[in-house]
Amino acid sequence: MIPAAIGNFSLIVAVLFSLIGLLAAVAAWWSKDARYIVIARRSAFVAFLGTLGAFMALEWALLTDDFSVIYVARNSTRANPTWVKFATLWAALEGSILLWALLQTLYTWLAGRKMRDYWTSPVALGTLFVIQLFFLVNVLFVINPFIVLPNPPSDGPGPNPLLQNHWMMAVHPILMYLGFVGLSVPFAFAIAAMWTRRYQTWVTETKWWLLVAWGFLTAAIYAGGWWSYEVLGWGGYWGWDPVENASFIPWLLSTAFLHTAMVQERRGLFRTWNFALVTLSFAATVFGTFLTRSGVIESVHAFAGGPVGPIFLGFLLVILAVGFTLLGRVSSEVRDVGSVHPLSREGMLLFGALVLITMAFVVILGTLFPLLVEAFNGAKVSVGAPFFNQLFVPLGYLMLILMGLGPVLPWRKPEPETLRVVVWMTIALVIGTALGLVIGWTLWVSLTVGLVLFNLVALAWLTFSPVWRRARATGRSPLQVLISQFSHSRRRYGGYTVHLGVIIAALAIAFSQSYRLDVQKTLEIGESWNVVGRTLTVHKLRLLREEYRDSVVADVEISGLGEVHPRLNYYRSSRTPFASPAVTYTWLKDYYVVLQAFDQEKGSWVTLRLVVTPLVLWLWISAGIVIFGILMILWPGGAPARAPAAATEGVSA
Amino acid sequence: MKTKYLIGFLIILAAIGYLAWGGLGNSLVYYVLPSEYADNPTKYEGKRVRLGGLVKEGSVHFNPKTLELKFVVTDGVVEIPVEHTGTPPELFKDNQGVVVEGHFVGDVFEGDNLLIKHSESYQAPPEGGYSPDEVRKLLEDAK
Repeated sequence: MIPAAIGNFSLIVAVLFSLIGLLAAVAAWWSKDARYIVIARRSAFVAFLGTLGAFMALEWALLTDDFSVIYVARNSTRANPTWVKFATLWAALEGSILLWALLQTLYTWLAGRKMRDYWTSPVALGTLFVIQLFFLVNVLFVINPFIVLPNPPSDGPGPNPLLQNHWMMAVHPILMYLGFVGLSVPFAFAIAAMWTRRYQTWVTETKWWLLVAWGFLTAAIYAGGWWSYEVLGWGGYWGWDPVENASFIPWLLSTAFLHTAMVQERRGLFRTWNFALVTLSFAATVFGTFLTRSGVIESVHAFAGGPVGPIFLGFLLVILAVGFTLLGRVSSEVRDVGSVHPLSREGMLLFGALVLITMAFVVILGTLFPLLVEAFNGAKVSVGAPFFNQLFVPLGYLMLILMGLGPVLPWRKPEPETLRVVVWMTIALVIGTALGLVIGWTLWVSLTVGLVLFNLVALAWLTFSPVWRRARATGRSPLQVLISQFSHSRRRYGGYTVHLGVIIAALAIAFSQSYRLDVQKTLEIGESWNVVGRTLTVHKLRLLREEYRDSVVADVEISGLGEVHPRLNYYRSSRTPFASPAVTYTWLKDYYVVLQAFDQEKGSWVTLRLVVTPLVLWLWISAGIVIFGILMILWPGGAPARAPAAATEGVSA
Repeated sequence: MKTKYLIGFLIILAAIGYLAWGGLGNSLVYYVLPSEYADNPTKYEGKRVRLGGLVKEGSVHFNPKTLELKFVVTDGVVEIPVEHTGTPPELFKDNQGVVVEGHFVGDVFEGDNLLIKHSESYQAPPEGGYSPDEVRKLLEDAK
C-alpha cells in the first residue's frame, strides 16, 4: 500500500518536472535567455529524483513481498532469494519500462549538466524531455506497476524461471538499457543540430555519449550470448532469435554511425549520413522494444492484444518522422562539399557503414518476414538460422577486409607507402588461407584465418611503424616509445584494441560454428563413456534442495578436466525443469555437458549430452579485449581534442 | 566517375538482394498441422517443416539406450509417424501438444528438434477427440 502510493506520487513528480523542463526549454528557445536552461537542467535533476523514487518504491514492494502491488503479485514470489527479488523489477514489461525511464532521466540530467548555450541546448534538452515523458507517461497511465489490488494474494508465481537461473540475467538487461537509452543523447543533439542549422559540431559533442552507449550495447550483446551459452543449455551463444535480433539491429546501425561520425569530425563529410544513421540507431532501440514487448513476433494477431505494441509503434514512427522531416528540410544545406576517394580511409569507412547497414537490413528482413507472410496469406513460417548465416558470412568477410584496409589507408587519397603495406597484408591473407586449406579446414574457415592475419599485419604495422620511426628519431628505446604512445594517443590505440577484439571474435565464431560436435548417450551410474579422446564417468546422481528450487545433479568426471555438475532445476512456478549445463573451458575447445534426463524411479541411469565447441573461450576473451579498448578510449585525460588541429591526432579508425 | 561507383554499388546491392531472396526461399520453415500436410504433401517435400499437433495416446516408444524416440502426431484427423533421436523433454507424454522441427522422408517425419507446447492450465481432451482447429488453438495458446 505505502510503496504504491509513494511510487505513484514519485512518478507524478517526475512527469510534472519533465513538463516544467520541457516548457523551460521552449522558453529558452523563444527568449534566447540562458537562465531558462538552468531551470530546465534543474527540472531534469528533480525528474530523475522522482523516477528514482518510483524505482525504489517498486524495489521496496518487491523486497518486502507486498503483494497488494500488482507488479509484485504478478511477478514475484516469497521464497526467492533477495537478488532475484531485486532483479524481478526488470523481469517483466512494466518494471523494465520503469527502469528505462529511470535511465532516461539519468542521461537527460547528465547530458544537460554541460549544456550552456541558448542556441542548441534548448532543442537538445527539449528532445530529451519529450523522450523521457513518453516513458514516464506510459509507466504512470498505461502500464502502471503500482496499481493496488483490493484482495492481495498471499504469494505470487515468481518471474520466468529462465531469468532466475543465472545472475547474468540481473545484469544483462541493465547493460542493454544503458546502451539503448544512451543513443537518445546523440539523437537529441542531432535534432538540435538540424533545428538550429549547426551541422558540424554535434558529432564531436556527443562522441563520448555515443561511445558509452555503444560500449554498453556491445557488453550487453556479449553478456546475452554468454548467458545463452552458459544457462540456456542448447549449446550455442547466438540463435538469431527475434529477441537477439532486436538488440543486434541498433548495435549494427550505431556501429555504422560511430564510424561515419569520425569522418565528419575529421573531414566534415557524411553529414547527411550521420543525421540519418543516428535517427535510425535510436529508432532501432524503440523498434527492438516494440518487437520483443508487443508479442508481435509470436503472431501478428498478438499485436492488438496489448496497448504496448501500438504505442511503441507510434513512438517509433514519430522518431523516424521527426528525424527525416528535419533532415529533408535541411538536406540541401548539409550536402557534403568535399569528395571521397574510394581508396582512402573515409572511403573505407563509408563502405563499412554500407555493409553494416546492409547487415541491419538483413536482420530486419529475416525477423519481419514471417510477419509479412502471415499477414498476407496466413501461412505460419519462420526464417531459420541458415538464412542469416548465408548472408552474414559474405558480409562478414567484406567487413573484415574493410576493417583491415580502413585504418591503414590515409585520409583523402592513397599513398605509395600504405599501398606497400596492403601488399604485405594481402600476402598474409593468401598464406593464411593456403595454410588453413593445407591443414584441412573448410574453405570458409581458412578464409577467415587468412583475413585475421590480413588484419593482424595491418594492426601490427599501425602500432609499430610510428614507434620505430619515433625511436630512431629520438634515440629512445622502442619499448619506451610504445608505452608513451599508448598513453598519449589512447583513442587511436583504443580503437585498434577494439578491432583486435573483433578479429579474435571473428576467428572464434568461424571455428565454433564450423566444428561443433554434439552427442548424446544414456549411461548407468558408474559407467564410463569414451568420446572425443576423453572419458566421461557418471559417479553419482543426487537431489539438491534449495529454498526456491529443487535440483537433480549428476556428478560427472571428465578425464583430465575434473568433475562437473550438470543439473536440472525445478522451479515452483513451472512444471518444466530447466537444464543448467556444466561448461569446462580449455584454450582450444570446451566441453559442455547437459543432463538431459535421468531415471526417475530408481536413479540408475542418466542421459548426458556432450557438446564440444572450439574456441568459445576466445569469444569471451574478445569481449574483454573489446571492452578494454572502449575503456581506453573513454578514460578521462590524455590528449584532449582542443582544436581541429589537435583533434587530428586522436582520430582512430 | 560518380556513375561508375553508382553502378558498382547497384551490382553489389543486386547480389545481396539475390542472395537474400534465394536465402529466404530456401530457409523458410513452414509450420503445419498433419491435416494441412496431407492436403498437399508435395509442397513440403525436402523442405524444413515444423509439424505441430498432439502426441497420440499410446503411440510413444522410447529406448533410453539408443535414444530412439518414435511417436505419432495427430490433429484429430490425420496421423503422422515421427522419428526422433534424443531424449524426450520432461513433459512429453500422451495428448501433449508438441512441435517437431525436421523434414518428411516418405510418409515418416524425421525430427531433429522437439518442443513441448503446454499451457499452464491442463485440460482433459474433449469427448471424441480434438478437431484440427481446436488443436491449432491449443498450440497457439501454449507457450
